[in-house]
Amino acid sequence: MKSIKDLERVKEQALAEIRLRASSGSPRVTVGMGTCGIAAGARETMLAIIDELKKRQRFDVTITETGCIGLCAKEPIVEVEIPGEPKVVYGNVDAARARQIVASHIVNRRVVDDWVINRKEDE
Amino acid sequence: MVDISLHLLDLMQNSARAQATEVALEVAEDRERDTLTVTVTDNGKGMDDEEKRLALDPFYTTKQGKKVGLGLPLVMQAARMCGGDVKVESGPGSGTKVQVTFSLSHLDRQPLGDIPATLVSFMAGNPDIELSFSYVGEKGTFHMTSSRLFSKREKETLGQIALLSLAEERLRAGLARAGFRPDGGGVIG
Repeated sequence: MKSIKDLERVKEQALAEIRLRASSGSPRVTVGMGTCGIAAGARETMLAIIDELKKRQRFDVTITETGCIGLCAKEPIVEVEIPGEPKVVYGNVDAARARQIVASHIVNRRVVDDWVINRKEDE
Repeated sequence: MVDISLHLLDLMQNSARAQATEVALEVAEDRERDTLTVTVTDNGKGMDDEEKRLALDPFYTTKQGKKVGLGLPLVMQAARMCGGDVKVESGPGSGTKVQVTFSLSHLDRQPLGDIPATLVSFMAGNPDIELSFSYVGEKGTFHMTSSRLFSKREKETLGQIALLSLAEERLRAGLARAGFRPDGGGVIG
């Protein structure tokens, strides 16, 4: 359970990140949560992303979901969108990969090429 | 799907895609009647009689560009495998209620699984939907709604990631107090 002090600290961090987001646009992570994604482990992927972002205090990132995009064999699918950079779609993202994607792509801005299934350069 | 909580997440996603603004999930264990009943109710666009009839057909879907719709057929199979069944109530404009009953003590019944994980991941992807959840077990009950899970101050000051982490903590603590077991009781585990 968090203490009031911990919550105050989280609040300060969140406010700082919200201010930053308002000025520069925030990264967005989208997880495929169709039947195929859920059966392949998308829920654990989603929770791993939330946990890793929290550990790394990246409260500026927005998490969202989408349905089946027709690549069921590649589920769980995760799309990372950082303003000003191409959207990157990763396939077969289990919880461990999800944590690595957060650390490498979102925090250090290095795409994890081995797991990329699509890049949307023009968006 | 390896457990019931994953089926529930899938059914809740159906509600979200039916433009629901309110989704209610109920999980009830009844040892006397030997039943585990899970119910997902929404206020989405609902189905007419023909859609309702086809909803349990794996080769029917309302989604364009797809040829199969496996959510309801999968949960029906899981229920029937252990002496249970699925009941769908729906009407155009009046939402949908899907009730799945399992035999609690049946050896082939899937475990309930990680219900807090299901709720948090649904909240992450559907922040505008009012989610309510009720658990009724042998040792206690637990109830929550997504709008009352946080104080006004928390909602105003914490971002999405911090709120979701807090939600997970509170759901796990609340369900533990109510005696929730991920195996769903019964004879297994």
